[in-house]
Amino acid sequence: MPERFEERELVERAKLDPDAFGALYDRYFPQIYRFAYSRVRDQSLAEDVTSEVFFKALKNIKRYTYSGHPFSSWLYQITLNAVADHYRGAAGKEVELEEGASLPSTEPTVVDEVVRRDRSRRVWSAIDQLPKQQRAAMVLKFGEDRKIEEIAQILGKSSGAVKLLLHRGVERLRRELPPELELGTP
Amino acid sequence: MEDKELDELFTDPAHQEVVDLLKASRPATPPLDPNFRLHLRAQLMAEARKTLTPRAARSWFPFTFTPRLLAPAMAAVAAGFIVVLGIEVYLANQPATSSLVAMDVSKLNNKTNVATGEPIEIPFSGPVDQAAVEVQIEPATSFTQQWIGQKLVIVPDHPLAPNTTYTVRVKPKATVPTPNASNPNTPKPAVAPTPAVVHFTTVRAPVPPVVPPSFRSAGVTYGFDSRLGDSARVNILGAVWTPTGQLLVTRPGGQPGPSTLPTASATASGSGPAASTDVWLMSTMGTPIRMVAPGGNFPAAAPTGGLFSVWRQAEGSHANLEVRDLQGNLISTAATVEGVPDRPAVWIGADRLAYVDGGTLRIVGLHAPLETPALKVDHGSLAASPNGQLLAVQSTGGSVVLDLTPAATQRLHDGATGFNWSAKGDLAFTIQRENGTDLYVLTDGKTSKIASSANGQTWSDLNWAPDATSLLFAARPAGGNSMSSVLMLINRDGSNPTQFGPQREYSAPQWSPAGDLVLFTRRDEAGGNAFWVATSAPSANDAAEKQALAEVDKFMQARIRGDSGTAQDEMDNAGRAAYQGGTSSLFSPAGTQFDRYYPVTVQLTGSNANKFLVGVRIFIKKSGVETSFFEEQLSLVLQDQRYLVDGVKASETMALGHGPTVVSVQILQAPPGQQVRVRFDADLKPDSVTSTTIQVKDANGQLVAARVSFDADKHLATVTVRLQKGTYQLVVTTGVTDINGMPLAQEYDAPLVISR
Repeated sequence: MPERFEERELVERAKLDPDAFGALYDRYFPQIYRFAYSRVRDQSLAEDVTSEVFFKALKNIKRYTYSGHPFSSWLYQITLNAVADHYRGAAGKEVELEEGASLPSTEPTVVDEVVRRDRSRRVWSAIDQLPKQQRAAMVLKFGEDRKIEEIAQILGKSSGAVKLLLHRGVERLRRELPPELELGTP
Repeated sequence: MEDKELDELFTDPAHQEVVDLLKASRPATPPLDPNFRLHLRAQLMAEARKTLTPRAARSWFPFTFTPRLLAPAMAAVAAGFIVVLGIEVYLANQPATSSLVAMDVSKLNNKTNVATGEPIEIPFSGPVDQAAVEVQIEPATSFTQQWIGQKLVIVPDHPLAPNTTYTVRVKPKATVPTPNASNPNTPKPAVAPTPAVVHFTTVRAPVPPVVPPSFRSAGVTYGFDSRLGDSARVNILGAVWTPTGQLLVTRPGGQPGPSTLPTASATASGSGPAASTDVWLMSTMGTPIRMVAPGGNFPAAAPTGGLFSVWRQAEGSHANLEVRDLQGNLISTAATVEGVPDRPAVWIGADRLAYVDGGTLRIVGLHAPLETPALKVDHGSLAASPNGQLLAVQSTGGSVVLDLTPAATQRLHDGATGFNWSAKGDLAFTIQRENGTDLYVLTDGKTSKIASSANGQTWSDLNWAPDATSLLFAARPAGGNSMSSVLMLINRDGSNPTQFGPQREYSAPQWSPAGDLVLFTRRDEAGGNAFWVATSAPSANDAAEKQALAEVDKFMQARIRGDSGTAQDEMDNAGRAAYQGGTSSLFSPAGTQFDRYYPVTVQLTGSNANKFLVGVRIFIKKSGVETSFFEEQLSLVLQDQRYLVDGVKASETMALGHGPTVVSVQILQAPPGQQVRVRFDADLKPDSVTSTTIQVKDANGQLVAARVSFDADKHLATVTVRLQKGTYQLVVTTGVTDINGMPLAQEYDAPLVISR
């Protein structure tokens, strides 16, 4: 039986069955927590957001309607809204870069194994500095391996718009990351 | 890690390097307190046990009748508020935990006046294995099947036939999905094991006019109007009629409708205004039928129907000109341009498109490359003639009409702009003067100025009426803007300019192909422009015909309800004698009931509008179900300012539900001959509609030479003939079959009267 069908059945059961909801929690907690953390970069805030996401999911699961996308898309949507709510509450603390703003310097300091390990941190640090929508699209695509159609559903955009966000995000990284960080360079 | 989406999206090696880096550089695992995960789970489970109700085992019936629920449930049923056509949906050997699903067809079953261009929606009470549901429609109808959550949405490929009772059967497919072998306790997919049947009847069609409508400005009136949903949120990025009278509309991205995804929940929605647009196929009532071009704008319908062009943003700052069918399938990408297009492409016939690329005119062939004339257009006007031979172009070097066949050109007056071609090949255009606008018409190579605006008024947005007798346009007073624009109607010869519509702030009018509606834009309260549709009523749909049909309606309604007095009052002596003589039954025989009727054809048979022949189809109900119908040809004669039934001829009774049937017959003058338009209720096999299966015979029973064409989208066969004054017979044989191969139950005959 396809995984997607199993998931739908589990979600339907979870509308009435606490144990099924628990199974959903076990299945999706890691990625929702990871996604929340990628957006807030703070463990305590990530815990708050994750908690809020699952309590909202529990409260609204009876109204959830399967729409052809994974259940996780819905959870990602709630996460995005929870993050946005958090920052609205924090009086716009989230820093939004304009398209033309410069990324922080990511000049390499070492060229050995540490550098290779550091690539990941740097490139994801650079993604953190992208404009909000680009950042969300990049994290969902490259961090969570979501399909473009799913990302479109999560962000409330068309697939074409998501492609544009990804394209702009990659292009910006290409322009602004130092060449030493790119593959094929020691 | 393979990701085809990324491979397709990023083809530039420089981008691919970044993508490879991202794929190889997963984000760091965030710090996580394991106690947090456990603690949150415990909290959630405690809350879930308070708020979620465990599912109980259920019987086959989808409602649990506990004593507490029984009374209100029975009351509701008795009151008829809920009509659930029972469909259990289950699998054989299903475990006790699996669900039962019912269809709620209360909004559709036995409904009348159902719109012909709307999707059919059937909600289910629970999740259904969508792949296991099979739908059949009678009369035979091709359709696409979609799901919105638990709602089954059936979208007919063509508008349904009017005046027709449809039967929709929903049942399980023969092949039942296999259960999950690895986990036998997993609930199996639900299917519908017993067919469910829904009946509904479509709206009555407007009676085909005896006299084709004329849109001369003295005769057309503005009816009611309605606004198309959501359009106000879009700067005007295009809406256009399809040749079959549906609309292609640019809407803000992410709008709900069939084939799109509903908002997951209130908490998950509202992430801000949509940045993109989509192109939707919509009914004239503004109901979204399906999204046909996600991310698209500026649609342009192909004149031959079935296809449209649309602009869609591509990678970087490019835009693709795509050709799609009305199901939304991409047929081809015709062109790619730099920047963001500001206008739709222009179809030249069925297989070429003109567009502007960086200010330069381009023409692309869908099947073969074309040599493009070197014309700088910028924002100038562009329009192609209906036959695809001529292209009017406002270039920076002057306005011209290109003859695309021998590549000859005809120069127009300087400043000619706002081109619009009529169905008959007349080109209308305007020239702006310092103190107003001149309106010109080019016919057979000759240009004539037909009107000029007064008081510095500006005219624009020309649009020919379908019969080419008049033009609609937008008029703005001197110094005014679009806020003060009104729609005007003017005859083809420039006479009788008339304001069309009661309001100001209207612009960009477009007649529907049938001429019964006008699409236009209107300023809205938010300062944007919204698409609106207004009805129009040509007065040439003459009062005599309306009056005659009104008398027929009184007569028929009286017969249906058994009101002898009123029925007798609608007949003259000859009419009463015909019924008394047994030519037809005035009332239904015992054990049956006349259920409904509708006019199939209306023909003017007198030299003046004093005698009509009206064909009516009468449906017979037995035991509460329509089982058959017959037709009467009623002669109506004007007597003392009333039309009375003067005679009747009746057909044999025909059984319903046995193959396609004719739903209307219309005779149109099409000099030098006539067109007989025969409309069916089902999707037909096109190759079964020929001059052999649809015939016209003269009074001696001899075949008349005829040419037969078929429009599958409208279920319409058109017989082109040249008939002299007299009476003929239309014969539709049982050789006509529907898409399932089912023939007409019996031959259909109808008289054709040529009175002039």
